[in-house]
Parts: sequence; structure tokens; C-alpha cells
Amino acid sequence: MNIAYSTELICFLILSSVIVSGSLAVVLLENIVYSAFILGGVFMAVAGLYLLLNASFVAAAQILVYVGAVNVLILFAIMLVNNKEKLKPIEGLKTRKLISGGVCGGLLILLLRVSITTKWNLPGPSSIGEEATERIGEHLFTDYLLPFELASILLLMAMIGAIVLARRDVLISIDDINDLKNQKSLSDKKIPLLSEKSLK
Amino acid sequence: MNSGIDLEMSFTQGVQNLGLSQELAHLLWIPLPMLLVLVSAVIGVLVTVWLERKISAAAQQRIGPEYAGALGILQPMADGLKLLVKEDIIPARADSVLFTVGPILVLVPVILSWLIVPFGQNLLISNVGIGIFLWIALSSIQPIGLLMSGYSSNNKYSLLGGLRAAAQSISYEIPLALAVLAIVMMSNSLSTVDIVEQQNTAGFLSWNIWRQPVGFIIFWICALAECERLPFDLPEAEEELVAGYQTEYAGMKFALFYLAGYINLVLSALLVSVLYLGGWGFPISIDWFSSLIGLSIDNPLVQIIAASIGIVMTILKAYLLVFLAILLRWTTPRVRIDQLLDLGWKFLLPISLVNLLVTASLKLAFPMTFGG
Amino acid sequence: MLGFLEKVADYTKEVVSAAKYLVDGLGVTFDHMRRRPVTVQYPYEKLIPSERYRGRIHYEFDKCIACEVCVRVCPINLPVVDWVMNKETKKKELRNYSIDFGACIFCGNCVEYCPTNCLSMTEEYELAAFDRHSLNYDNVALGRLPTSVTSDPSVRSLRELAYLPEGIIDPHELNANQKRAGKLPSQIINELKAEKSQEEDNNHSSNMVSNKSNPTN
Ligand code: SF4
Ligand code: SF4
Repeated sequence: MNIAYSTELICFLILSSVIVSGSLAVVLLENIVYSAFILGGVFMAVAGLYLLLNASFVAAAQILVYVGAVNVLILFAIMLVNNKEKLKPIEGLKTRKLISGGVCGGLLILLLRVSITTKWNLPGPSSIGEEATERIGEHLFTDYLLPFELASILLLMAMIGAIVLARRDVLISIDDINDLKNQKSLSDKKIPLLSEKSLK
Repeated sequence: MNSGIDLEMSFTQGVQNLGLSQELAHLLWIPLPMLLVLVSAVIGVLVTVWLERKISAAAQQRIGPEYAGALGILQPMADGLKLLVKEDIIPARADSVLFTVGPILVLVPVILSWLIVPFGQNLLISNVGIGIFLWIALSSIQPIGLLMSGYSSNNKYSLLGGLRAAAQSISYEIPLALAVLAIVMMSNSLSTVDIVEQQNTAGFLSWNIWRQPVGFIIFWICALAECERLPFDLPEAEEELVAGYQTEYAGMKFALFYLAGYINLVLSALLVSVLYLGGWGFPISIDWFSSLIGLSIDNPLVQIIAASIGIVMTILKAYLLVFLAILLRWTTPRVRIDQLLDLGWKFLLPISLVNLLVTASLKLAFPMTFGG
Repeated sequence: MLGFLEKVADYTKEVVSAAKYLVDGLGVTFDHMRRRPVTVQYPYEKLIPSERYRGRIHYEFDKCIACEVCVRVCPINLPVVDWVMNKETKKKELRNYSIDFGACIFCGNCVEYCPTNCLSMTEEYELAAFDRHSLNYDNVALGRLPTSVTSDPSVRSLRELAYLPEGIIDPHELNANQKRAGKLPSQIINELKAEKSQEEDNNHSSNMVSNKSNPTN
């Protein structure tokens, strides 16, 4: 066992223990803010695993997308809502927990079975290291072109939807609100942020 | 191109000559660059802080630090020492774990990004293939640290400052990445070394700034915004938010924020010089120069001179940009938060997209000058 | 289409002008960098207070007649005049006098109204103290004269901006005998006097003229 191998093994063990315990903490912790921060840590550990596999581009993309965008957005959402409010106790929480625990345990057993029965030491293609970036680009624009374009269309739709939601016209005159027809279209109880009256 | 001097090779060879295995030599080598990065980053910060104080003073017709060392050159050191021995206060109702992790999470990615800054052909910590992409990815971790410290301080100003910082760095990351993408497209590589080499074919005429003037401006604006430098220092706007996410911090933890801010500034300046100003390249091609005085490029003397000129050039260019940043600090007023987001989303983003498209079409039209 | 292009052109124009203003501003900042600092390095250098500077109050015990006018004109009745009536001489005998500079606003009313001129304003302004009660000066402390900035050998005295020659804003690079811009107050007074007398002369002569011309009417 040479030095390189043992360092790799140690790194792998640390990273995977971080991932396992981190994801458990994300699910089990009461404090939602902690969960969100630990989620970021888990994402970073996953990126570390990619690095161990010599896939540095994927690792960087993982960090950029999951840590830099997804996790930050989650945090934003959590911090913009009022967390002082006490959540309502959910009915039958115990049975719910039991059921979801059972489902998760079943999934775990399934995965374990797959991982035990699979032969892992397949002589796959040799790793290409730094060339991976180019290879990814090539694949994206040749054989994976359709999913790639579909994904971009999906993102475009999501973006336009977000813009439509956000551009609910802020200034609505009082008459418009009193107008019943208008009220129906504006999802009933919604009160504009700024009405002309409040501006005066 | 010549390969320049390779420190790692010579080090491993030297250790191997002492009778140690190659792996052990490599293992011994690993901590050295890290140490080098830390030391150079900290020295860079000290110099920048001193420059900032002196130049600010000059711009306001003051004297600035004067008594600590000649011309006050030891003043940043004294500041650092003061912060080091200051009491470390954690507010009673703050979340002490997140409060401590926050500043670390802000500082570590910035220092890690120094890995990719090249000072010469082989004078960088690691020539990772994904180079500049690594920097973009790492700098996206920072907002989490800011949000963390903003949230855990249990202070409304801190929270607002943290949210602002995160919003700001998310919105300016996109035009920044697009500007970098245009460069990457021209040099066909993400690696910073390749990007610099591609610029150093004909002295300063081949620098990217001539081919990417718009990209240069976009990158510089976004870099200033990412560093929270003055036209964009909303997260710590004194008049509105006390000190933003730093409000509750004192002592060493505050120093971490301070350090991260200045390391980020120096790093951004270095990257601008790498991406747009030809990195370690001398305005006149060294190859041409050495052939002029009749020395071979492989001559050890020429190699050493070229390497030192490379380091000096990189640092010089970077500090010119730092100077510009300081000058901008005392020239421009702070923008409002809506103006900031307007500028980011409605001005820089479309412009950088257009820039990218134009670069791509130019690349197709003139593959010679815009990288085939 | 054309409207869109027009919009783009307008926008570009705006951007260009904004960039121009930015560069102008940078030029101004850059220009300031080559000017000398105007800093007055306080404990080693001090500005000479102007003639009418209202600093700490000086008081002459022997001149005071304990009339308490200063107390009455003071906005906060600050001066403390401690006197007793001497039955034999039927005169006030002053025992103590004090002013608390922690409360004084240096308005100068007391100085203005004192009938015997025993109060006066000095140019002393260094009144920092660790304890605010130590700012309550009694007649002995009030009677001390401050050291003048110009005569203090450990201090380099600098002229204030209004006392510099025309065109110079840095007091450091100044010869001692260079005159300040404009006229001195005494010169102005002399001039005013001269003007007045001339006017009177004129009036006089014009009166004479009118007197002379009167009979012809
Ligand atoms: S007004 Fe003058 S004379 Fe009268 S009590 Fe005050 S200081 Fe003395
Ligand atoms: S200067 Fe004004 S405030 Fe001070 S003691 Fe005289 S009258 Fe009172």
C-alpha cells in the first residue's frame, strides 16, 4: 500500500462519513437553518468525491451549481421568511415518521443489495483527467443535444414564469381592487403592496 | 515558448538526490506551495492595506500613517497585531457555532483561489486544467459564509448585510463568468497558464484587453462588486447598516473578514492582469529581447531574469489595478441597492451576452486573431 | 425596429456620457493626489487662533467690583461671585470668583458687559480633562495667562487659511514675513476714517456752496 493510495483511502473515508452523517443531520435536525447550512457541507463533500475520481470539472460544476446557486437560494428563502413563528404541531407525527422511516429503510436495503451484487471492478475506460472538459462539451453538443436543449427550454420556461410571478403590477388603483371582476383575477385576497391611497 | 524554471521539478530532484523516494519527495513538496500562498497572500494584503491608506490620504490631502516604520509601512502590521490580541467577543444571544464558522467560510475559498494565479510559466501552485473555472466555483461559496455570519449574529443589520452581500455576489457572478467565458473561448483553454501564453505572442499588442475591451470593463466592474469595493460596498454601508454582516464581529474574527476582503481584491487584480493584461508577459516579448542581445533562451541567466521579470510584471500590473480600485473608491459614490441590481441584471448581463456572441462570431470570422 | 434601434442608440449615448463623467471624476481625484497634504500635525504644529478667538476666559481679581453683571448677562448664570458686605466700609468684599468651563458656551456676554473690563477672552482652547469638575476654574486659575502658540518653542505655529497670502493654501511653505491677503483691520479702520472725514469735508463745502448760492435765489 503506497502513500498515494492510503491518502486517497483516508480522504474517501472522511468524505463519505461527512456525507452520510451530514445528510442524516439535514433530515433529522429541528433547526431548518442548520439543515440548510449542513446541506451545503454535504454538497461540498460530494464535490470532494468527484475530485477523488479525477473529475475536477464536475466537482467545480457541483460546487458552482449546488453550493453557489441552489443552497444559497434555499438559505435566502429560509432567511426571508419569519422564523420566529411557531410551527403548528402536525397530527399523527409519530405514524408519519414511522411510515417514512420504513420507506427509507426499504430503499436503503434495496440499494445495499444492488451495491453488494454489482461487480465494481469493471475495467472501465481509462480516466481522461484534464481532457474531460472538452469531452463533456463534445457529448453535450452531439449525442446529448436533445436533452441539453430540452433542459434549456425548461429553464427558460421557469425563468419566464418567475418573471411573470414577480411582475405582478405593484401599483393598482383602488377602483381596480374594489372591482369584483378584477379581484377574482388577482387571486382573491391579494392586496397590492402599494396602492395609490397609501402613496398619498 | 520556453518552459521557464520549474521549482517543483528541481525540488523533487533535490530531495531524491538525498536518497528519499519520489513519493515522499512529492509529499514534502505539497505543504510548501500552500505555505507560499498563505505568506504571499498575507504580504499582498499588508501592502495593499498600506497602499490603500496612503493613497486615500493623498487623494484627500492628508498624510496617512506616518510613525509606524518609515512612511508608516508597519501600520498594517500593527493593525493586525491589535486585532490578534483583541478580545474575541461572541454576543450572548448569537449562534456561537455558525458565528465562528462564517468568517472561516468566507476566507478559505479566497485563499484557495490563489492556487490558480500564475506568476510564470511554471511559477504557480497547480496548473489545474479547469483553472479559471475553479476560481468562479470557489468564489460562489463565499455568499454562504456571509449569510451564515449575518444570520448567526442575531442582529437585524447583520442579517440585512448578509442578505445584500449574497444577492450582490450572486447577481454579479453571472456577467463575470460570461466575461471569462469569452476569454476562454479565445484561448481554447480554462487554464490560466494557457490563457497568458496565448496573449504573449507579440508583446503588449497581443494582450486580451485589445480584443476584449468590453469584457475587460465588465470583468472589472463585477470584480469590484464581488470584492464589495466602494461603488458597490452596500453590504457594509455604514450609513444604513452600521457595518453590515461584520457588525457584531471583533478581534480575530473581524480580521478574517478584513483579510478576506483584501485578499479578494488583490486576487481580482491579479486575475484581471492574467486574463486581460498578459499576466507575466513583459510589454516587449522576452524571446525577441534575448535574441537581440544574442543569448539563447535556455541560458540559465536568461531564465532567471525572465522569471523574475515575470513575477515583477504580474505584481506590477495587479497593483496598478489595485491603485485604480482605490482611486475609484474616492471618486464614485455608493450606488443604491436597486441601482446595483439594475446595473447587474439589466446592463452587465445583456452586454456580456452580446460580448460573448460577438466574440464567438469574430472567432469564426478571423480565426487567426481570435483563437482558432 | 427603428424605435428599438433609437432606444439602443440613446442608451449607448447615456452609457458613454456616464463613462465620461466617471473618468472626469477619476481625473479630479488623481489631480488631488499631487497636492501637498494640508494636515496640521496637532501636538507639534498648531494653528494660530484668530484675533477674536473666544477661548478660555481670563479674569483679573483686583479689578472686579463684584457687581454681578456677568452673572446676570450669562445665559446660564454661570459665574459664581462670592462676596461679603463689609459693614464698616459699607463695601462689597470679594472672596472668590469662579467659572465652570464644563458648562460655559464661550458666548462672551460676560466679557462684553463687565463694567471694569476685568474679564477677557484668551486664545486657549485645550481644555480636555479627565474629570469635568476640574474644569471649574477659580480666580487663581482664571488669572493665569495661556502660553501663546507663537511663543511656544516646542510648537510650530501655522497660520490659518484666512491669514495666508493670496493663492497659497498650505501654511507649511510660508515665510514669516509674507503678508496675508486683503487689508488688516487697522488699515480698514483708517481708511474708513479717512473716507468719513472726506465726506464731511465734502458736506461742508457743499453746504458752503449752497449757502453761497442761496442769496442768489
Ligand atoms: S461683571 Fe466684571 S466686575 Fe462685575 S462681578 Fe463680573 S467680573 Fe466682577
Ligand atoms: S462666556 Fe457666556 S456662558 Fe461663559 S460665563 Fe461668560 S456669559 Fe456665561
